[in-house]
Amino acid sequence: MTTAADLPGEPPAANGERSRSFAGTWRLLRFLIRRDRIKLPAWVGSFGLLTIYLTNALPVAYPEEDLDSLSGLFADPAGRLLIGPSYGLDNPTYDRLIANGYGLYFLIVAALMSILLVVRHTRAEEQTGRAELVRASVVGAKAPLTAALILAVITNALVAVVITALMVAAGHGGGGSFLLGVSVAAGGLAFAGLAALTVQLTQFSRAAAGLAGAGLGLAFALRAGGDMTRVGGNTLSWLSPLAWPQQTAPFVLDRWWPLGLSFAFAVVTAAVGFVLSTRRDLGASLLSTRTGRPTAAEWLRSPLTLALRLQRGSIVAWGAALIISGFLYGIFTESLLTGWEDLPDTFVEVFGTGEENIVTGYLAYMSVFMAYLAAAFAILAVHGYRSEETTGRGEPVLAAPVSRWGWLGGNLIVTAVAAVALLAAAGAATGAGAAIVTGEVAYVWELTASHLGHAPAVLVLLAIAALFFGVLPRAIGLTWAVLAYGIFFGTFGGLIDPPNWLFDLSPFEHAARMPLEPFALAPVAALTVLAAGVAALGLLGFRRRDIDTT
Amino acid sequence: MTTVIDVNGLVKDFGRVRALDGLDLTVNHGEVHGFLGPNGAGKTTTIRILLGLLRADAGSATVFGGDPWSDAVELHRRMAYVPGDVELWPNLTGGEAIDLFGRLRGQMDHARRDELLQRFDLDPSKKGRTYSKGNRQKVALISALASDAELLLLDEPTAGLDPLMEAVFQDVIREMKAEGRTVLLSSHILAQVEVLADRISIIRQGKAVESGTLSELRHLRRTTINVETAKPADSLAELPGVHNFEATDGQARFDVDAEKLDEVVSRLAEFRVRSLVSHPPTLEQLLLRHYGDELGVRAGGREAQDER
Repeated sequence: MTTAADLPGEPPAANGERSRSFAGTWRLLRFLIRRDRIKLPAWVGSFGLLTIYLTNALPVAYPEEDLDSLSGLFADPAGRLLIGPSYGLDNPTYDRLIANGYGLYFLIVAALMSILLVVRHTRAEEQTGRAELVRASVVGAKAPLTAALILAVITNALVAVVITALMVAAGHGGGGSFLLGVSVAAGGLAFAGLAALTVQLTQFSRAAAGLAGAGLGLAFALRAGGDMTRVGGNTLSWLSPLAWPQQTAPFVLDRWWPLGLSFAFAVVTAAVGFVLSTRRDLGASLLSTRTGRPTAAEWLRSPLTLALRLQRGSIVAWGAALIISGFLYGIFTESLLTGWEDLPDTFVEVFGTGEENIVTGYLAYMSVFMAYLAAAFAILAVHGYRSEETTGRGEPVLAAPVSRWGWLGGNLIVTAVAAVALLAAAGAATGAGAAIVTGEVAYVWELTASHLGHAPAVLVLLAIAALFFGVLPRAIGLTWAVLAYGIFFGTFGGLIDPPNWLFDLSPFEHAARMPLEPFALAPVAALTVLAAGVAALGLLGFRRRDIDTT
Repeated sequence: MTTVIDVNGLVKDFGRVRALDGLDLTVNHGEVHGFLGPNGAGKTTTIRILLGLLRADAGSATVFGGDPWSDAVELHRRMAYVPGDVELWPNLTGGEAIDLFGRLRGQMDHARRDELLQRFDLDPSKKGRTYSKGNRQKVALISALASDAELLLLDEPTAGLDPLMEAVFQDVIREMKAEGRTVLLSSHILAQVEVLADRISIIRQGKAVESGTLSELRHLRRTTINVETAKPADSLAELPGVHNFEATDGQARFDVDAEKLDEVVSRLAEFRVRSLVSHPPTLEQLLLRHYGDELGVRAGGREAQDER
């Protein structure tokens, strides 16, 4: 130790201790930048696209004279629940709408970007053992976390620059634009700090990201509760790291000091992370890894129950997300009831109905919207089967007395039943939300039925993905194009007025739009038969092809 | 003696790459068959075809007289498989995976399972993602060995195990053999197969190059000796059982048949031995020495074809 410190050019041992624990930080930082040379520009670019989209789309969607009508939607309790404290939206302008109406979504993306960045370069590296190679060279104990956090600062600063520049370029005020940009960056950094802490707690990168993500969810819930009570929020809001950047209220109050809370939170959480990191071994964690059951549950005994066990986590997570958002969408009904006269025409076009039916039109649209989400769940599940196959986890199952039909069929049955159940749960939750604000209990079963009406379309998407899986597994991703097509025509079709056959190509356009229209059996039956036929072709294809293991 | 696995002229292509090029393989009932070949020779591809996970492009393969592709499920009731690279579900414990595989196969001996867990020293309550490669391999081994399968297909089953566990593995395989089960044991290490196998097939570049009992393949059991002597040892080259003799200033290098080893070593003393190293030939050495030239020509020919 002394020989190393006595070498010419080395700092003396006393303060060398500290500087050595950061040794290699800059070299490591350059390496991280090189590794992220695609990812980070893509993240920063997505903020640019979002800004460009909002600055251009808002004036088109809501012409100047319609702007005031939005205040009902955005400043109502249900609106505030979804967007924030709604500063200045009683008197909306385009810049206020972007900063205070959509700002929360900038913040959520920045938070996710920062959490994933920090986890990727710290815990994920340790989990895979790559950090061992790095730390075995001349790299100090604190260098990897330091480099990751510096990269988070650089990335969030770039986000601030991009947002500011594009806002100013679109003609919005420089001061408010700059405040909005810095607020988003400050929100991102708060969660980078939180992630620096959570990566010390668990041994696995997914769990670390999940913990920080749960923190993000809690922050959202706290501010949702607070912001709902009144414009500007209450004490509950001020407990949330997501609220502080929103409390700057760009283009309204233009105050900088709430960002002090964001930066302080980032510094304190990161500091705790550093302290914890010096008290543990490489690869170790503060929360011990839980052991599980030494024997399998009695029911885990067939390809069907294995599929259920493997998809269970995803089904529960999607269920929670769809039920919560459905409930919120249901509550939003009240804002429509009180403010429908002032709604811009585009709303009416999207919901595809006359003004007197605006609420039923809205609820009918939400039913098909939930069907899009359930279809996304189903396609992701098929991607999951594929990764079971290519990682080699499917191979020992298929080497047991399990047929190809049994393996894929079991998986498909679980996904199909789950997708239908998710739709029913989302419908019941939306109906419950609507029933609470309107007092009409009938909404609960009406909306459950209207959501279930779109289940055959979801099953068709699942069947298409299964067909790709069986016949051309590399192309499963093409199913997303079918979903995107359906979403586009379902949402904007009414605005652009295309020929009917373009609508008919989307599986989502055939079921009756309940509760706006009465139930119709024919399309439901036809789509279900179609789904079964396409899925059977997928099963046949899978029976005939080689198992890919990479 | 009945034939359990019968493979004739098996061909499998992956795109332009020919993985199997007319492979022949016969495994008899009740034997431990060593399936030996360097990495990439086609051992795993063969086993996957025998499991019906891949479909052969030409040639024939039967397992218990059945077609591994169309009769897969029926045949799998009588087979157990340990992949070379065992992947487990990250959030299922090792014990859950072992039980699941046992139940999928229909019957599992619980006492046997617990005994194997103990012998292989595996903690079944850990989640799949926390196991090392060796421990994942133990999970697959235990679930295969706890089954009452008549045929075990083991693809490099001990690659991640330490020598102690390797010894346990060898004991268990001997017990299996005593019970009359058939084992196909693939490996790229000759010494591993040598101690267990009744018969060995050597595969290289998708073709079986040699097959037989250990005594038939006597040349595989030679010992390579590197010796430094005070007196030149050239006259050793004339002794029966000495092969491939090479000598350069005081150093000699040669192979000796196992039966002649005693004789040759006692003659060595005459030359005043200064240092001596002996080791069994590696598979790579054998392949190079016995099949090297022929394969070299073939590989060259294939490259020339590819360039056209």
